[in-house]
Amino acid sequence: MAQAPKEFSIVGKRIPRIDAYERVTGQAQYTGDIQLPGMLYARVLRSPHPHARILGIDTSKAEKLPGVKAVVHHENAKVPWSSGGHTHQRFIFNNPVRFVGDAVAAVAATDRHIAEDALKLIEVKYEKLPHVLDANEALKPDAPKIAPQGNLSVGKGNFSAPIEESWGDLDKGFKEADRVFEDTYITKHTNNAQMERRVSIAKWDAGKLTVFASTQGVSNARTDIAKDFNLPLSKVRVLCKYMGGGFGNKNQAQDYDYMAVVLARVAGQPVKVEFTREDDYIGMHGRWASEQRYKIGVKKDGTITAVSLDAVTTMGAYRKQSGNLSGTDFYNIPNFKKVILPVHTNTVVAANYRAPAYPQSVFGFASFLDQIAFEMGVNPVDMFMRNRVQKYKSKLPFTSNYLEQCIIEGSKRIGWNEKWHKPGAMGGQKKHGIGMALGGYPFRPGLGAATIRVNPDGTAHVLVGVTDIGTGAKTTMAIIASEALGIPLNQIQLTNGDTDVTPYSVGESGSRTTPFTGPAVIAAAEDVRRQIFNLAAGQLKVKAEELDLRNSEVFVKADPAQKLPLGRVVSRAGEIIGRATTNPSFKDVEGKSFSAHFAEVEVDAITGHVKITRYVAAHDSGTIINRLAAESQIMGGVVQGIGMAFTEELIIDKLTGIPVNPNYRDAKVPTHLEVPEVEVIFIEHYDPYGPFGGKVVGEPPITAAVATIANAIFNATGKRIKELPITPDKILQARQV
Amino acid sequence: MNDETKSKVSRRTFLKGLGGGAIGTAVISTGLIKSDSVEAYTPETSSGARAKTALNLKVNGKSYKVEVEHRNTLAEVLRDQLGLTGTKIGCDRGECGACTVIIDGRNLYSCSQLAVWMQGKDILTIEGLAKGDKLDPLQEAFIEHDGPQCGFCTSGQIMSGKALLMKNAKPNEAQARRGLSGNLCRCGNYNREVAAVLAVAAKAR
Repeated sequence: MAQAPKEFSIVGKRIPRIDAYERVTGQAQYTGDIQLPGMLYARVLRSPHPHARILGIDTSKAEKLPGVKAVVHHENAKVPWSSGGHTHQRFIFNNPVRFVGDAVAAVAATDRHIAEDALKLIEVKYEKLPHVLDANEALKPDAPKIAPQGNLSVGKGNFSAPIEESWGDLDKGFKEADRVFEDTYITKHTNNAQMERRVSIAKWDAGKLTVFASTQGVSNARTDIAKDFNLPLSKVRVLCKYMGGGFGNKNQAQDYDYMAVVLARVAGQPVKVEFTREDDYIGMHGRWASEQRYKIGVKKDGTITAVSLDAVTTMGAYRKQSGNLSGTDFYNIPNFKKVILPVHTNTVVAANYRAPAYPQSVFGFASFLDQIAFEMGVNPVDMFMRNRVQKYKSKLPFTSNYLEQCIIEGSKRIGWNEKWHKPGAMGGQKKHGIGMALGGYPFRPGLGAATIRVNPDGTAHVLVGVTDIGTGAKTTMAIIASEALGIPLNQIQLTNGDTDVTPYSVGESGSRTTPFTGPAVIAAAEDVRRQIFNLAAGQLKVKAEELDLRNSEVFVKADPAQKLPLGRVVSRAGEIIGRATTNPSFKDVEGKSFSAHFAEVEVDAITGHVKITRYVAAHDSGTIINRLAAESQIMGGVVQGIGMAFTEELIIDKLTGIPVNPNYRDAKVPTHLEVPEVEVIFIEHYDPYGPFGGKVVGEPPITAAVATIANAIFNATGKRIKELPITPDKILQARQV
Repeated sequence: MNDETKSKVSRRTFLKGLGGGAIGTAVISTGLIKSDSVEAYTPETSSGARAKTALNLKVNGKSYKVEVEHRNTLAEVLRDQLGLTGTKIGCDRGECGACTVIIDGRNLYSCSQLAVWMQGKDILTIEGLAKGDKLDPLQEAFIEHDGPQCGFCTSGQIMSGKALLMKNAKPNEAQARRGLSGNLCRCGNYNREVAAVLAVAAKAR
């Protein structure tokens, strides 16, 4: 457990990204920007049926098209795709196909249009199979079976089982309650919709495979590729220097990486697989839809005595991630039980999207709590304050928990006490509303690695495996290195995202980069400093322990006038290399970043349109490493929440199983015009377990946003919308009821 | 300055070199024929005879002689033939704005402009904004205001912002939002991007 230093030299300042110049000049080279000599372009053919057996596939016409160099499909490329932790076997091309968009074949050609033309020449004979699109229907005994074990998805241990968790005594809890409420909340499948389409380039050189991926994790992408292609790790190199967003499962290796690898092998030339935007919507994954049935017992003052949650989550045709719902995490629930059924359907796969298990279930639970507050005559801010989580699962203390301060400061900033009114009490066409909800995300430490080289001129080179998916992770690591080394940021170069060069990284997902790799950077810096002090001790004729390094000068702590320029010390050794692999863990504590969000809205009673007029996001993320990027993260998470609250839903035709809006315009991601000012408050306290006291920032901001907006709409209209997205028609319908 | 005087190989010489309509030769298939001090990528193209047109592209003040298929979009040609990959393609269907460039003073989606329409037009891309080492004030403002998160939409945001500022040096916030509204940012960094445009506007006289 580290003590907070009195003062940081750079941590906590507003630091522009170290690669901002490259990003504003167009010089940043993303995966799709890479051109290799002789490179082919590939496109993917997808199933038009939600469930069908492929009886035959004739590629002869496609192969005859001039420029076509390779065509692969389930018969000639049986490649398992095991990444993502699902336990039943999936291939890059499957037979039967199990959703509209399941990959059937891929073509590599000398240009992308020839590859597109070739797709149209592939003749596939399908035998249609019965399909099921709805999770509740899929659970019925006579439903078409999508996975061999049945439609209740397989979890860890390779058997079909619900996700279950409980503590306390549920019956006792409900008996203690003055009132018990039951209701159901529904959320829909939404797509990550990152701006960079999925792309991968593979090339083979004398048995060595290089993959330029668009991945959130080069290390785990390499592990997956090596495993599924049965290659030694040393023969696989994965690079990702710049990455155009992921928000979830661009982590690990994906089927398009594998298709590039196979096509490059068959064609004997480098291959770039490019997904179209439609491929991205229908072929990959989005956030799992959910139906959440709650039973909540409360005392007269609103205190929760017991909660049960029965839910189904729609996972699509294959299981990639948990399908869990964790929105109850932010509340003190003495007696609790949840049973969640992740269900297979003949629809696009559901997997990780920013805070995977949270915004949908925070919407459900915090909406219902807000409703119960109304029924019990309790002010929502008191309801949330009274029930805020204080111990993890009613048991373990948190490493730090300033949720209370988030509520206090956030409600003060928005003026809750002056502005809150009875729901639906405002007259006129434009109805004012105000709402709030609690959120956050687990903060856990884990395996990280870093290498730091200090050059003979005193400049430093930091090597980390992390990719930077937009969070500013490269800058965060450079700031941590600068602070820990005592070398100014502008003297530090950072190399990232190359498995042949940079050390292991967990992958930039689950808000893990700072707590996993941050401590390794600090430890590597300490290794460097130890070596420098040993060298300088002789030169300055003092003991190594008496030395310090700041601003690229090595000096005697007791007499700072006795000093040496860093370069002079290092040049004697040629260079200094420090390295560290760290794997901190928690004992009898749990970690979480927390937030309380507040919004004011204006609901047009005639059109049903909602305008967010003010948004306040108060966050406890421990020490903020880079204030500028951290604020941007908070704003961005809120904006994604706005999309989920109001517009986003992948709509699947009930008859054919075809997604009808797989594009930006029709799936309606927020634009410049829908976004309010977002006021960010950081409740900053040093967390003893985080690097320089920092917890996590990336995932928390989306968690509370949807529920916050929903609760503000309720305050304006007095009508509860229990199904996302909250579109104008739902608001108008609710008003008429 | 017209493109014939600017390019070392004039259009006439270039056409003569083709030996009169020998479209589809090996020389042609390299795509980029000649340009000033610009390294071109030369992807192998099909030997099949497909409709192609030779044209001059004026991009960032330089002339490029290129051979394009009629179905090639400007975004494709900028990226694949000229190596100007700062222009991104996010949707390839005129929805996201990552491919925004400025054509004759207007911000347009280059994925929705065919390259063959570009003869005689003046195209400005993200690579053409800085004057040598000196960044455009809007690029500087994007750095200072944390405009890029993942950065994939950034080129397009900057080009739309630049087009707005070229027409209206002092836009207010509503005008800035409207001016950038054709550019999606899934990182949700809209307020940063607008702040950068307004910061430049605030400095304008």
